[in-house]
Amino acid sequence: MTRVWLLAAALCAAALPAAAQDAIRGAALAEARGCGGCHGPAGRSAVELVPSLAGQPAEFITLQMILLREGLRQAPPMNQLAQGLEDQQVEDLAAYYASLPAGPAEDRAARDAALYARGQALSAQMNCGVCHLPDFSGRNQIPHLAGQREDFLRHTLAQYRDSQRRGTDTNMNAVMYNVPDDAIAALAHFMAQQ
Amino acid sequence: MIRQKIIAAGLLAALACLPGLAQAQQAAPPAWAIGREGSGMAATLAPHAPRLTVTPRDQLPLAAIRLPPGFHAEIYAHGIPGARMMAEGPNGTVFVGTRTIGRVYAITRNADGTTRTRTLLQGLTQPNGIAVLNGSLYVIAINKVLRFDNIEQNLDNPGSGVDMTAAFGLPPEEHHGWKFLALGPDGRLYTNVGVPCNICDFNRDTHALLVSFKPDGSDRRIEARGVRNSVGMDHHPVTGELWATNNGRDWAGNDIPNDTLVRVRRSGEDHGFPYCVGNWADPGAPAQRNCSEFQQPAALLGPHVAALGMRFYDGTMFPEAYRNQIFIARRGSWNRERLNGYDVMVAKLDGQGNVTGIEPFLQGFRDEANNRFLGRPVDVQVMRDGSLLVAEEQYGAVYRITWRQ
Ligand code: HEC
Ligand code: HEC
Repeated sequence: MTRVWLLAAALCAAALPAAAQDAIRGAALAEARGCGGCHGPAGRSAVELVPSLAGQPAEFITLQMILLREGLRQAPPMNQLAQGLEDQQVEDLAAYYASLPAGPAEDRAARDAALYARGQALSAQMNCGVCHLPDFSGRNQIPHLAGQREDFLRHTLAQYRDSQRRGTDTNMNAVMYNVPDDAIAALAHFMAQQ
Repeated sequence: MIRQKIIAAGLLAALACLPGLAQAQQAAPPAWAIGREGSGMAATLAPHAPRLTVTPRDQLPLAAIRLPPGFHAEIYAHGIPGARMMAEGPNGTVFVGTRTIGRVYAITRNADGTTRTRTLLQGLTQPNGIAVLNGSLYVIAINKVLRFDNIEQNLDNPGSGVDMTAAFGLPPEEHHGWKFLALGPDGRLYTNVGVPCNICDFNRDTHALLVSFKPDGSDRRIEARGVRNSVGMDHHPVTGELWATNNGRDWAGNDIPNDTLVRVRRSGEDHGFPYCVGNWADPGAPAQRNCSEFQQPAALLGPHVAALGMRFYDGTMFPEAYRNQIFIARRGSWNRERLNGYDVMVAKLDGQGNVTGIEPFLQGFRDEANNRFLGRPVDVQVMRDGSLLVAEEQYGAVYRITWRQ
């Protein structure tokens, strides 16, 4: 299997742009490191509290992997799993996951119309789309939210509020300042249902 | 199967390069946006994240750097993601603090003139404040003060340091809580306490200050009040006066307010935040006050430029005209539709210490035509040989500027 991959990589490497070459190396590394076991073989997670990575901006993934590797964002088991990754390997993994099409988890629950409407109103009022873009697809260091796992979103938004998650800047801590649990649940449902 | 995945990956990577269209959205401002009302600025402006992975030497923008005639730039050290504030030890080690990546680096010189960079400390929260006093390295992270004695003898094994956090008793807020650290001619340590918001009502005895301490953290003294967020200061080599850069607030407009240069003539005076910047009374302030109540800035440094590290030039390598003038690193704007800053300027002072002008020194990192940037100078450091180091955060490099006849 790996040998086939190496051959394919060698064949197309010369013809592909740099980002695609990184993505090819990243695919091999993700396979070797078993990232897909938790984050899903196509980067769409089917595991509770594990985020999907497919379609995230490469810059976001790279920055988060560094924060995880350096122990600045505490998120077990990722801190341990990120140890020993070189900068170039991190960039390769990021290029790979950024190249996969984003989409919801297979086990996504059905839409709750009332909760969705509340999340939609909150998102408009709190301007989530200004930074994450109106379709919540993210850009640069700002993550893609559309179709992300609802349980993960709930968990991570509460972490920002409670100063348990630290990012590359303090914007999200400020956004979530004092936001109650029921509002977080509505925001998470709305984003997961995009 | 894997082959298909690779091909799909290649195609998608190519597609991902197509520019996305960012659309501004209109809605009522949320809590984090207080102070944004009526600015008319594009709402999608957001801070630029620094690159936290190593940038290879051949990708650094050395060739883009422009300097006045006779000056020359070289790469002193590279591969130091997030490089920010600098301090030189007695044996010539350059210590470099960071914010996002949580590290402190140590750069030493090899016998052949090249440099070696070690990651000295890691896992700290924004260890931006760096100073060397009596052979000890002081590091201030958010709500943490550490001292590493005989540091230059222990670069390979610095240990965890002496924890002096309780003695200094600095506030815990992370937002604008990162520090600049300077040594005073009086042997005291000088630092800043920023305001934990863009603009808000806050305790004017605990925040928006310049403060000094004895090196053991005792005897806190307020040097200046009403300084929103200073991340750079130095003492005049002749008069001993404290001078500092100060960051103006966001979302008041593309061209207001200015970042400022603060001159502290007497300890404890009020420099105006959140009420005034010079004679501009901020309409977003919690109350309206007469700006003549406050100290006026020594100079305006430009809107949203992020004027950070500053040092008086007390070396002898550069021409006499630079003596006792201030080099100021302007990291560059995010809260402005057209980029501003991304350079190093010189504040020219006359014999009375009045600023007579602000002149460009290091340029070329701001790409006007494409409204993008190639680098973000964050600090300057005058080396004992009179050369000037410039720390560039975006791609993690330190440049050395020399002058020859
Ligand atoms: C044992 C399961 C597991 C494995 C294997 C694993 N991860 Fe994770 N990963 C997680 C969990 C759980 C989180 C979320 C942690 C949290 O936020 O609390 C996470 C978070 C992340 C994040 C942050 C994403 C975000 O949206 O915030 C990235 C990036 C990531 N992992 C990349 C990887 C890569 C690359 C690999 C392979 C080298 C990998 N992971 C392997 C469980 C795993
Ligand atoms: C001012 C810009 C800004 C606004 C407004 C904003 N975000 Fe964010 N958001 C960010 C940035 C930047 C990050 C990455 C931070 C980091 O490094 O942890 C982020 C991260 C996140 C994450 C983490 C996702 C992941 O995969 O790890 C979630 C969830 C999120 N935002 C949801 C929201 C929601 C919901 C709103 C509206 C209530 C919102 N954001 C508003 C800038 C913003």
